[in-house]
Amino acid sequence: MKGRPALRDSAIAAAALIVVLAIPLVHRSPAFEDFVIRLSAMALFATSLNLLVGNTGMVSFGHGMFYGLGAYAFALTMQMTDLPLPVAAVLAVLVTTLAALCVGAICVRLSTDYFAFITLAFQMLFYSVVISWQSLTGGDQGLRGGIPRRQIFGFELGSQLHLYQFCAVVAVLGLLALRHISASPFGQTLRMIRDNENRASFLGVVLWRARLWAFTIAGAFAGLGGVLAALFVSGAYPELADWPNSGQAIFAVMLGGINSFLGPVLGAAILLALNDVVTRFTEYYGLVLGIVILAFALGFRRGVLDFFRLVWPRGLR
Amino acid sequence: MNGLITRRTMLAGGAASLLAAPWVAKAQANTLRIGMQSILSGPIALLGTSSRNALMMEQDRINAAGGFLGRQIEFVFRDSKGQPQEAARLTRELVNSTGCELLIDAEASSGAFAVQEVVRDLGVACIHTNSETSSLTADPKIRVPTAFRVARQGVHDAVAGSIYLSEYANAKKLNKWATCSPDYAYGRDTTAQYLQFFKQFKPDIEIVTEAWPKLGQPDFTEVITKLIQAKPQALFTLLYAGDLSAFVNQGNIYALFTQMAVATPNVDYPVLAAIKNLPPGIQSATRYLETFPDTPANKEWGQAYLKRWNERPTNWSWQNTVAMHFYEAAIKKANSLDGKAIAAALTGMKIDTPFGVDGTITMRDDHTTINYAIGWGQTTPKEPFIIDVKAADWGKIIELETEWKKQQKYI
Repeated sequence: MKGRPALRDSAIAAAALIVVLAIPLVHRSPAFEDFVIRLSAMALFATSLNLLVGNTGMVSFGHGMFYGLGAYAFALTMQMTDLPLPVAAVLAVLVTTLAALCVGAICVRLSTDYFAFITLAFQMLFYSVVISWQSLTGGDQGLRGGIPRRQIFGFELGSQLHLYQFCAVVAVLGLLALRHISASPFGQTLRMIRDNENRASFLGVVLWRARLWAFTIAGAFAGLGGVLAALFVSGAYPELADWPNSGQAIFAVMLGGINSFLGPVLGAAILLALNDVVTRFTEYYGLVLGIVILAFALGFRRGVLDFFRLVWPRGLR
Repeated sequence: MNGLITRRTMLAGGAASLLAAPWVAKAQANTLRIGMQSILSGPIALLGTSSRNALMMEQDRINAAGGFLGRQIEFVFRDSKGQPQEAARLTRELVNSTGCELLIDAEASSGAFAVQEVVRDLGVACIHTNSETSSLTADPKIRVPTAFRVARQGVHDAVAGSIYLSEYANAKKLNKWATCSPDYAYGRDTTAQYLQFFKQFKPDIEIVTEAWPKLGQPDFTEVITKLIQAKPQALFTLLYAGDLSAFVNQGNIYALFTQMAVATPNVDYPVLAAIKNLPPGIQSATRYLETFPDTPANKEWGQAYLKRWNERPTNWSWQNTVAMHFYEAAIKKANSLDGKAIAAALTGMKIDTPFGVDGTITMRDDHTTINYAIGWGQTTPKEPFIIDVKAADWGKIIELETEWKKQQKYI
């Protein structure tokens, strides 16, 4: 009985992956493939943030720092060493994990408001370092010169199809891992902390430790998203680590639904699609986005997936 | 029940169409689409818009002349908002889903470097029209076979400006200088480049103070008082656009321009329009000036732009215009739209244009333009705003650029 939900999730993930991988075999659409590559990065970024926001009740305004750090660590490793791509990706995630552990150790003991502000402060600090350390990061012009596209197991990531396949596999595996974490006893503990931290504390949960784990795990997966983002733009840019990028992830979470595991993925897809469509017709992207979000917020009064779960409970649970 | 289903159906349909929309559109048959991306929103949208204006004039001119290879051209304009990752996405979108066969990359430098890497993957012909960062084409590791630059280049401006300013400083006996430039990579790197060449020509100059205001800073009081207190004989500034006009307007209040000589390479028509009382005698480069080169063709183009858009062109405007002149000549020569064929035709190509110092501009083998108009003169409050313009010596520019490239280990 206990293993069934995990098996079900794995089966759904496998089916989704098969469908995504099969699409280019039926019909090649470079624009769709680009969309999925970007969505892979953004979905990991937003879902990892929701581990904090939705599961633990910790609203981090500085999550973009780990996304940016993952991108820079990966791109710099690829440029400065001859390491294989998977090793560079794992190293980048490890660097981000360590950074999240250090930042989290300082932040997680603070109350909600101060936690939000100090995560933002750390992000601004990191952004300033990226801008100022020109010899390493290229400053505000970003890391130039591209990422060497080394082959992995016969895959050439300079090819759009191979990059699409790579990103889809990484994103699905990443999301599956996050799903397991969210559904595990640890995930239940996080929700208990969110709902009533005093009760959790009385039951013997060490609050700061659980929160620090959640913060570190979320940072690691944001870093993995950053690796995919770096592969897409073939470089790393300060904007990836800037606060508006954290805002994008928060938008995605709120838009998709904080109480549904796939809510942030849907939110990210809506945001990216909106960006793609709206920028074709107008330069007032921000205005249109604001109106759409307002309409969602006032119309649904919650994230899209949360709304559907409410009006259609059995079908989506 | 029915009502609920209808609403669900509508929502699902709406969501599906929203998600499907990005890859539905495809290029119409026969019209040749040219993708153009730039900063069309935000504080420096004015420059992106002036690029778009110039390209729309070119679209009309080229179509009236029969288009490219008998096909009418149509620009597809996109706004990157100045974000590199968005710039990379747009380049892919323009080629992959909008069906653009040529690219004009009118991004500022950070966006241009992101576009460069995508062009490397796509192999389509691309002309960068606004990035002035030299390494984009000078560094062989960054250069891309099908990407070219039709724009000023930082190192060219630094050599030309330093030669002019060292002569000016010698004539006026100005040894104590101050600098005031925006606090980011462009400001710091280019100031260092100017000073390197400046000291080469005039070793006895002394920098008495440096000010680094933030980009878009509304209040320059602190910077202006710091500069006045340091008592330099002259000030060199790389502030530009709204920052430069704000600095001049606020500097006028403190009579800064009567206390020291001032030199800047960044005076442009929009800056002039935003300055309330333009002080005379500022040593200034001509980014774009209707009277330099002082030819009927240049004047005619400037006036045509003014008539159509009711504003003056910018430096970005002429650069985009010349990019289309290069495409026109290269496609004619290659008789093809293939990236490699256009690249082969563009390399070493020399075209006639009103914006060249001798009526021509050349696309050098390292994918960047030379011989465009660089001049320095001094401001005057009334038209033509910059007078006594001296043309830069391109022989000297290329000699020192080569030295610089060797120092950077590019050659």
